Amino acid sequence: MTKKIIFGLAAAAALAVILIAAGQTVPKMGLPILTTSAGQSTDVTTLNIVLDEAAIMYDYCDVPTAEMVADGVGLGGRESGPGFHVESTTDQAKFPAGTPYKAVLFAIGASMKGMGASGLTLDSEESRLKKLIDYCKANKISVVAVHIGGESKRGPAGSDNERMIDAVAPLADYIVVTKDSNKDGRFTKIAGAKKIPLTEVEYALGLVDIVKQVFQ
Amino acid sequence: MKRTHLWATGLALVLAFALTGHSLPAQEQAPAVPGQEDLHGDGCTVIIVGKGASTDGSVMTTHTCDCGICDWTFRHVPPADHKPGSTRKIYHISQYKTWPPSEGLKWDLIKKDFAGIDIPEVPHTYGYHHGSFGYMNDKQVAIGESTIGCQRKMQNPTPSAKLDLTMLTLLGMERGGTAREAIQVMGSLAEKYGYGFHDDGEMLAVADPNEVWIFEICPVGPLWTPESGKPGAVWAAQRVPDDHVSVCPNESRIGEIDLANKDLFMASPNVVSLAVEMGFYDPNSGKPFSFKRAYSPVEGSAVSTDGGIQRLWRFFDLVAPSQKLKPETPNMDLPFSIKPDKKLSVQDVMAMTRDRSYGTPWDPLKGIRGGPFKNPNYFNRRAPRVIDDGRAEYTTVTQSRAGLPDPVGGLVWIAFGSQDTACYMPFYAGATELPKSFAVGDHWTFSRDSARWAFDYTDFHVQVVYSEAIKDVQAAQAKYEAEMIARIPEIDAQAVALYKKKPAEGARFLTGFSLNNAQTVVNAWWKLGDDLLVKYNRLYLYDVEKRNYNRSQPAVPDWWKKAVRAFDILMEPDKK
Repeated sequence: MTKKIIFGLAAAAALAVILIAAGQTVPKMGLPILTTSAGQSTDVTTLNIVLDEAAIMYDYCDVPTAEMVADGVGLGGRESGPGFHVESTTDQAKFPAGTPYKAVLFAIGASMKGMGASGLTLDSEESRLKKLIDYCKANKISVVAVHIGGESKRGPAGSDNERMIDAVAPLADYIVVTKDSNKDGRFTKIAGAKKIPLTEVEYALGLVDIVKQVFQ
Repeated sequence: MKRTHLWATGLALVLAFALTGHSLPAQEQAPAVPGQEDLHGDGCTVIIVGKGASTDGSVMTTHTCDCGICDWTFRHVPPADHKPGSTRKIYHISQYKTWPPSEGLKWDLIKKDFAGIDIPEVPHTYGYHHGSFGYMNDKQVAIGESTIGCQRKMQNPTPSAKLDLTMLTLLGMERGGTAREAIQVMGSLAEKYGYGFHDDGEMLAVADPNEVWIFEICPVGPLWTPESGKPGAVWAAQRVPDDHVSVCPNESRIGEIDLANKDLFMASPNVVSLAVEMGFYDPNSGKPFSFKRAYSPVEGSAVSTDGGIQRLWRFFDLVAPSQKLKPETPNMDLPFSIKPDKKLSVQDVMAMTRDRSYGTPWDPLKGIRGGPFKNPNYFNRRAPRVIDDGRAEYTTVTQSRAGLPDPVGGLVWIAFGSQDTACYMPFYAGATELPKSFAVGDHWTFSRDSARWAFDYTDFHVQVVYSEAIKDVQAAQAKYEAEMIARIPEIDAQAVALYKKKPAEGARFLTGFSLNNAQTVVNAWWKLGDDLLVKYNRLYLYDVEKRNYNRSQPAVPDWWKKAVRAFDILMEPDKK
């Protein structure tokens, strides 16, 4: 047995112990998936890199609307342009263009820079997210809320970030956060109140194993 | 259509665009959120001058802190001794984040953004002056900053990265007794504690009285953890030859590196291996490793981007026209540094921070772009991107000067607001205070207590009749800036004499001099704004002494009247 395998088994065992100890349930969800941002911070790049590392293919769009999501895999052949980015790595041999998504992953994090680049305001971003999540709910597409920006990107009550959290987390089917993002128990409270499974990880790296468990 | 009609139509179309505030087809989409367009990565210009390339032997750096909505406040941090076992708190400091003045000052409020670690403190930390970044410490170590960006998968906005760039520069100031030391401090701390969070690819000019380096640093991706045992940053530094000058206009400048030559290069241990690991460099390609091509590539040239990235070529062409560098040359093929045709004075460098690319293909006054009063801000302030694009929070010019005691040799000149209407004010490294008016204010609350607003106040009144009012500003600059530059040797001599007798007296002298001059200049700029308002009120020319006014001045030029007629022709209904 190689050192890598031993390390991998040890890491998996450690993760299992942590999850069991924390009473965390990792739900199972299907493919194909779409990643996007709630607030246009660069955290969605982290999420995409996590999926790359986990060898899970995905579509990505920074500002999808409900209509775009309805177009399914490949997002209707749309191409990136100024203030709009789309990328499809989904294996279209398995999931041909137009296949409905089974889950949408939202990387929560407000960035004035990112919203400015996409021509959005906080209000219009909130409105877009509401319509998008409503569509997901109506079409049985799982919603995953991810917050990996940490404590200092949370901000006080009413801050840009908090508004993004309120727009997505209470409506999610699963919440994954870094411990640093949940220092005040904000996500724990939301998860408890709405009975949403919640997983805490130490670093973004911890998400790699989580997404493997959820989507494989 | 006749040629004259075609001419008129073309001219009128351009005019119509100008009048309606539209840009010609440009490189970027116009953002929908006013003000937020200023946060793109085209923010700052750093000019670097080696000691053998300056007229007085000083090593110089600049930082045009171009933003438009960022913090502009400065403060002095005194030197300190620390007991064994002391720690230094680390904060996440965003370059862009500001707070309403009613909540307090940025440099107090950042303490709310504790990054979660305390690092071992060193026995002694140097005193320094800082704004958005550290600029000058009491050992004459100086810094200028420019964001260069990095490959997307290198970004690490996660909390595993404990150090942002601002925090790194503060640590570099506190712990670096030389430029090399400051680079090693910043590089090694970033490797150990992780770099990124609010920032990604960044360049710093790091200078001392003997040399100046270009230091570039990038994160290593969001999956980095301190437990990985790998460096949490990748960086390289290259020394600018003493008789050369260089520039960083938001583009990585370090290409091939020769780590065997320790006098010219430094780097983190992963500088090549990370690029291989991430797929940015193939060691079997037969090509040498290049830092900029691997981690922060910029495609295109001044010409191919229609001036979007023309600052690099422009600077080199300004300082070394004999080289006849071509604006068509891809920026990544332009040299790292260049020997200027003539040595540069601090005044030359200040003038370059005010450069608007006049006379080049990207002259903002070309055609009718500047309007009747030739205002370079009138048409499109973002394309082409010139060095002085009018949105600087402030600009610094640092001088590190050998042959003088450090408190006297180190100078940071600070100018608030757009460089063309601002005035550089000197602050010696030995000054133990900065003005209170430099520590307060923000973009959204006008305040006569904030020095920065004095300069915006003048700048605002210049915009109306730029071609005329800028002459008044230049006269004030000649009085308060040029004369101050000429006085510096005299101040140096007095300070050196005092330091020899009693260092504390020297420090008090330099502090008093720096504060007094700043107060004089700030007062003068408040008055200048008042004077411009009166002089050009209602677009007439008021003569305060004679108590009369001239309604035909400032004169609207004939070419502008023709342009208006051409526009009228275009808008007339077709006559059949």
